[in-house]
Amino acid sequence: MNRSLWAPLIGALLFVCSSPNTATAAEIPAETLALCASCHGEAGVPTAADIPILWGQEFYYIYVQLKDYKAGLRANETMSGVVADLDKETMQALAQHFSEQPWPSIGYTAPAYEAGKALAALSAGQCVQCHLGGYEGNSRIPRMAGQQADYLERTMQEFKNKIRLNSAAKGSLLASYSDDDIAAMARYLAGL
Amino acid sequence: MSFHSLIRPALAAVAGAMLIALLPFTAQTQEVGSGTLYGDMRTVTQDLLNRAAGDGNNFLHTNGNYQQTRYYPSRQINTSNVGKLRPAWIFQTEVVESMETSPIIVDGIMYVTTSFSHAYALNAATGQQIWHYKHKMGPITTYCCGPNNRGVAVHGDMVYLGTLDAKLVALDAKTGKLVWEKQIADPELGYSETMAPTAVNGKILIGTNGGEYGIRGFVKAYDAKTGDLLWTFDTIPENSVGVWATHDATGRDMLRDIAAEKTVLAAKGDPYKTLGGGVWQNPAVDLAMNRIFFVVGNPSPDLDGGIRPGDNLYTDSLVSVDLDTGKYACHFQYIAHDVWDLDAVSPPILVDVKDKDGKMVPGVLHGGKTGHVYVHNRNDCSLIRYSEAMVPQENMWVLPTANGARMLPGANGGVEWSPMTTDANQGLVYAINLHQPMTYHVESSPYPEGKLWLGGAFKVIPTEEQWGNVTAVDYNTGKIRWQVKTAQPMIGGIMATAGGLVFTGEGNGMFKAYDSETGSVLWTFQAGAGVNAPPSSYTVDGKQYIVVAAGGNTQLNYKRGNNIIAFTLAD
Repeated sequence: MNRSLWAPLIGALLFVCSSPNTATAAEIPAETLALCASCHGEAGVPTAADIPILWGQEFYYIYVQLKDYKAGLRANETMSGVVADLDKETMQALAQHFSEQPWPSIGYTAPAYEAGKALAALSAGQCVQCHLGGYEGNSRIPRMAGQQADYLERTMQEFKNKIRLNSAAKGSLLASYSDDDIAAMARYLAGL
Repeated sequence: MSFHSLIRPALAAVAGAMLIALLPFTAQTQEVGSGTLYGDMRTVTQDLLNRAAGDGNNFLHTNGNYQQTRYYPSRQINTSNVGKLRPAWIFQTEVVESMETSPIIVDGIMYVTTSFSHAYALNAATGQQIWHYKHKMGPITTYCCGPNNRGVAVHGDMVYLGTLDAKLVALDAKTGKLVWEKQIADPELGYSETMAPTAVNGKILIGTNGGEYGIRGFVKAYDAKTGDLLWTFDTIPENSVGVWATHDATGRDMLRDIAAEKTVLAAKGDPYKTLGGGVWQNPAVDLAMNRIFFVVGNPSPDLDGGIRPGDNLYTDSLVSVDLDTGKYACHFQYIAHDVWDLDAVSPPILVDVKDKDGKMVPGVLHGGKTGHVYVHNRNDCSLIRYSEAMVPQENMWVLPTANGARMLPGANGGVEWSPMTTDANQGLVYAINLHQPMTYHVESSPYPEGKLWLGGAFKVIPTEEQWGNVTAVDYNTGKIRWQVKTAQPMIGGIMATAGGLVFTGEGNGMFKAYDSETGSVLWTFQAGAGVNAPPSSYTVDGKQYIVVAAGGNTQLNYKRGNNIIAFTLAD
């Protein structure tokens, strides 16, 4: 092969290798990161109890959620506004950035008395089949271990009550749970 | 000066000259490594693969041989001495997560895999690691039931592995280095690989997962040397409607609303593009017929039949295709228009069986999630008989409801994906089973483009008892010969040996040897994590070994671990 042909080939390979995360954290506008941090926290600990931890969350999960907010599949007044002007590359870069941060400890302790109730509910739903042992997620499946209890409870309720519509299977499953079971599962998972 | 002092320099000079003379040969020997007078025994020839059923040294196929009998022909470990079976070595992998690997052994080298698509080569006599291949996983994976991997295929000087991000990779068997890699399908749309490939006649065969994500299933054949795609058999034909079957393979009414289905078909057309039909496990290969036999999984979405009219061919079916072309030969559908995910997953076994007239014919066995062993004629896939149910069946086939309808088996039911084993001398097939009661919930939703698409939910009933069993079935009569109940639902696999034994493990860490004739438990070992993988056997330096992975299971949430444990008889 002619040496001059290598340069574009290597360039193409580098492009392919870096896909799909074509934008880097450095290219994310500072004001966008600042906007994220205003709710999700400067150091990864959110500013309110029902806002999810993003630091250390799965790349593909975050990216899909941003896409779904933009497509209206997941309704949230704040997030719909935030993602309105984001392009695909910036959403991927944001997902990459947050997935590469260390998961923060929020120091939550779940009440021991309801661990049995929570475990029975999680077993009934076969939750580890997707969220895996330890509930740490993988790729398109989010980490739940150590997530904020209030956020977990709110989002499970939103699945149950068909407010959150971007995972129909989760909606069907959570519709079969009582509010007490959902609260117990949220607290147990937050305490892991 | 003594005689010795005179002779020593002379001997040294002669030895030196001999060493110099031998140097080229030494170098050559080192390059070959495992070379012998009879050739390189670590090169897996087609002849070796063909003769695997009678090979007492190696374990060359995921299910033992092309017939997938998982019957190991060595009898050094047998009913009279199995009580002396002890761990020879334990190897711990880097990944502590669900293990479903079938160890493959070639001339004293063992190949095993772990969750997240790692592969290892080990010294089968010592457990010492030779190499470790850690797949560079893409950022998008979509899979059901755990990040499992069920093992490798071996062919020539290569090892083949399917990956969670839906690739087929070929590795150099000596070094573990990547030789080639092919993207089989798009993981963003729900495709992934957890099955071991099958190597035959220069081809690497592999199916796909994804029946929970609205894929269109397939079996593909790749060129073993180059990775070029040779053929694809789509498990869902463009006309998937079928014959509007109203009863299942056992004659029970499935309560289909055929008129309503026909209305949907007329309005929306054939749903074949997103109808599921994954192939989770290896095909059996009949070299004489030049055909393969595999089973096809559930339709998508699992629980909602309202938006997928017709029989949903070839879901929940035994299918046979031509090995060279992938052309359809025959099929038999167990459950048309399945809305319970009681699909066909356990790999088929080829044995000779008695037909309805008592005449021996080439047969095929399949263990269903329904709890039946189905016995087929290999020529046309037709059903000869089905066994007594190995697990409780209740309320079949009640349709799923919005609030959940209870029916047994639950969707993790019967034989599940676990491979069975046979002992042709006794005419028995051995299966491990699950009893896990569930409710079936239906809720319609449109195709979600790669997201989980169940059309409802499966829910385990926490107040009801769960258990498992090991069952021996006479495949010439369909009668249960013996059955042993276990404390937990069973998943993983089983192996029979010429020593009159069957080996299988449990979620609580127990690994057991049963008398294959009676079901007596002859030996147990506590592995410390769930033994939910199929065992293998092999012989090195005159010692027979039994080997199994103890890594627990995601699907049933059994205690995770990362051990490969090899056993041999105590001296």
